[in-house]
Amino acid sequence: MHCSGSVPRFAQRSGYRVALSSTILGLVMAASAFAQADFAKANEEFAQGHFKEAIAGYEALVRAGQWNANLFYDLGNAYFRTRDFGRAILNYERALALDNHHPEATANLQIARDEARALELQPTKLERYLQFASVNQCAIAAAVAFWLGIFGIVALIFARRRSAALLLLSILCLLVGGLAVWAIHTLDTGSEGRGLAIVTGNDVQARLATADTANSVLALPPGSEIKILSTRGDWMYAALPNDLRGWIQTKNAEQVRL
Amino acid sequence: MLQRILTATFVMLACVQFAFADSPSVTAVLSNSEATVGETVELQIKVTGPGDARPPEEISIDGLEIRSTGTSRQFEIHNFSTSSSVTYNYTILPLRAGRFAIPPQTVHAGGKILRTPELALNVADAPGQRPQTTTRPGRSTQNQSTNPGDLVFAELIVPKKTAYVGEIVPVQIRMGFDARVHPRLTEPPDITGQGFTAQKLQQSSQNLETINGRPFEVVTFKTAIAAARAGKFEIGPLKATAQVVVPRRRNAPRSRSPFDLFDLDDPFSDPFFSNPFAGFGERRDIQISSDPVALEVKPLPPNAPPSFSGAIGSFTMATDAKPKSVQVGDPITVTTTISGRGNFDRVNAPLLEDDRGWHKYPPSSKFKQDDEVGISGTKTFEMVVSPNENKQSLPVLAFSYFDPAKEQYVTLHSEAMAITVQGGGPAPAVAAQAPSSAPAAAARGRPAVSSSTNPQDILYQLTEPSRAVASFEPLYTRRAFWVAQSLPLAALFVFAGWKIRRRRLDDREARRIGALQHEAAELMHKLRRDEASPQEYYAEASRVVRLKAALASRNRAVDPNAVDAETAAETFKLDTDSCDRLRRLFEQNDEWQYSGTHNGPGKISPENRRDVLELIENLK
Repeated sequence: MHCSGSVPRFAQRSGYRVALSSTILGLVMAASAFAQADFAKANEEFAQGHFKEAIAGYEALVRAGQWNANLFYDLGNAYFRTRDFGRAILNYERALALDNHHPEATANLQIARDEARALELQPTKLERYLQFASVNQCAIAAAVAFWLGIFGIVALIFARRRSAALLLLSILCLLVGGLAVWAIHTLDTGSEGRGLAIVTGNDVQARLATADTANSVLALPPGSEIKILSTRGDWMYAALPNDLRGWIQTKNAEQVRL
Repeated sequence: MLQRILTATFVMLACVQFAFADSPSVTAVLSNSEATVGETVELQIKVTGPGDARPPEEISIDGLEIRSTGTSRQFEIHNFSTSSSVTYNYTILPLRAGRFAIPPQTVHAGGKILRTPELALNVADAPGQRPQTTTRPGRSTQNQSTNPGDLVFAELIVPKKTAYVGEIVPVQIRMGFDARVHPRLTEPPDITGQGFTAQKLQQSSQNLETINGRPFEVVTFKTAIAAARAGKFEIGPLKATAQVVVPRRRNAPRSRSPFDLFDLDDPFSDPFFSNPFAGFGERRDIQISSDPVALEVKPLPPNAPPSFSGAIGSFTMATDAKPKSVQVGDPITVTTTISGRGNFDRVNAPLLEDDRGWHKYPPSSKFKQDDEVGISGTKTFEMVVSPNENKQSLPVLAFSYFDPAKEQYVTLHSEAMAITVQGGGPAPAVAAQAPSSAPAAAARGRPAVSSSTNPQDILYQLTEPSRAVASFEPLYTRRAFWVAQSLPLAALFVFAGWKIRRRRLDDREARRIGALQHEAAELMHKLRRDEASPQEYYAEASRVVRLKAALASRNRAVDPNAVDAETAAETFKLDTDSCDRLRRLFEQNDEWQYSGTHNGPGKISPENRRDVLELIENLK
């Protein structure tokens, strides 16, 4: 027997849940509203020609984790206006890493590269073929193909009559899954993969050893692409354009993928 | 069959290789660029590639007597890659001293007209004294019939007595073995000495020569040395170890060898060689050495030109550029080919004399050698340059080297190649891309803050952020991706569980049916034996009917104990007569089971038994 006037326990619980959900939703919406306001403010600064203020606004949003392709594109434009082509290229690359079909970022990246005379890593022929799909698309394809293959194999194990067509289909699915995994590995470790970094410093020289006095391998204009292979202290060993390799100070380059 | 397939595959591959073979190429090389009057020099013209080649019919140069000495063909297969070449050999006999230039020779090959590079030959007036070993076989005053030293000789041939620091000097090593000692080199020849570097020895030829009336197998090696510092050096001596077969010493007086026609005290006068079965030869290790050769190394003269990188020899330079019509900022590939004879390891890419207004990238290089030791060849450099402004011509390239024959630095300049550069501002090519992107943005409904009127400017700012916050992390590294995999995993477990349960049920049913069938068969066997009492007989007969009815309705999983006459009749869809007979069977069974007696006789007549059996057997 419950006392009259007391709230049932299940009602109490659902009340807490609703309150918690509402709070979270409210916080998310508030954060989103603040982010939109900050973004609009940074855009306004840009429109008024206050590029440094615009950069500060965009960078604050980046630090807050409000990442999206348009934010990086706009930040790239702001850096372009201050003639910091290295960071402009870096942010266009980031916009394209989030949305590889971003036509504005593609066009502006090309303009910035030509301005900076930046060097580009040449993807291998294999990478060029595999770039028709992104790593995420390959991951989805791999997962779907893998599970279809596994379901097919399990069905075969328990079937009274083994169907050749089902067997072939299962093997085909597993093969597709394997190929997708291989494509993920190739893309992720390739020239446009996770190791991709952009030279942001000026007068950067890739060197034969981790010393400023070491012989120079290649002069890297700002905005040049490199692929980080390993890091040692303040230096990183990177694959360079023209199939070269050398050491670069970490402060002179930033990784595209945050 | 397999062999035929393999042969056909091989032939097909060879045909494909020939079909896609490179276009023919020609090289020419002298065995020595320094000679004396009367000393022959070998000229080889090598045509590589498909098609028939037609060499120059006659090479006539005043002061040189050039004669063709034959042709050799080579066909090579490496990893399914085939190549063929024809080498035309000529002997050059200098008739007078001087510096001769063998002009480019025209060779027709594969429907193309090819030209050999120009070659230089310096002929000295005084006959050269070849420094060579003292171990040449000769007449010995001592009675050393089996002295291995008489059976071998070694020569170190250095064509120059003076050289410059870093200059490549070709060196030839000749090692001769009496043809009858079955020689085997256990340690390859090694040139000892300090102050110079030697390249890897390459065996050049092996032939039979008659020296002092005795046949010798002469092996020739080629290498090249380069002095590291100035001064007087001794090259060599050359040292090697070989194993030879020599006759055992015998006490008997020996007869003269047919080879010893000129009383040369030939060790092969030993009876072992006239009658090998009279005794056995023995293998003996022998040390082979030559005399050292003196070489004076001079330092390079001072005031080297800025584009001098240490190249010493004789070189020519050719330059080409593609494309010749570009936009400002577009790349132009400048290909420079440096051919000739010298230390190619020190041949660096030529320098741009005036690189103002040009952006240049590091050059790449590849070297193709024309001889065994890499003294002659062609080094090709590819350098990418891009104009930063309007230009009418490519900058002049300069390459300097030291010519030891002229004893002076030589600087080669490329011709000023005319090019067309369009567009004065930076990156007009990119501007052309911008408008193509703009409609795409408009189609996506992206409002523009500012639109630039400058066609070379970047595109507008986007005012709306993308809807969702994105991540740079690849999907497969995110937790959500792996959590999502639990759904198909759970579905897989459910699917597998369902399948397992179904199989178990099927198995249980199969076992039940098997047991029923077995029991029915046992009972039928008993009924046919005619041994049972009426009570047992009717009980077993009615049990068989129940079992058969249960089996006939297997999908319904009917319990045999629950089957009565009506159920069985319905299951087997019996006619009225059979129905009555079945009912009677069940009634008689009940009577026997519950009363223990029967109204009829105490024994079942054969007719009744047959009738029951017939009824049961017809239940299908």
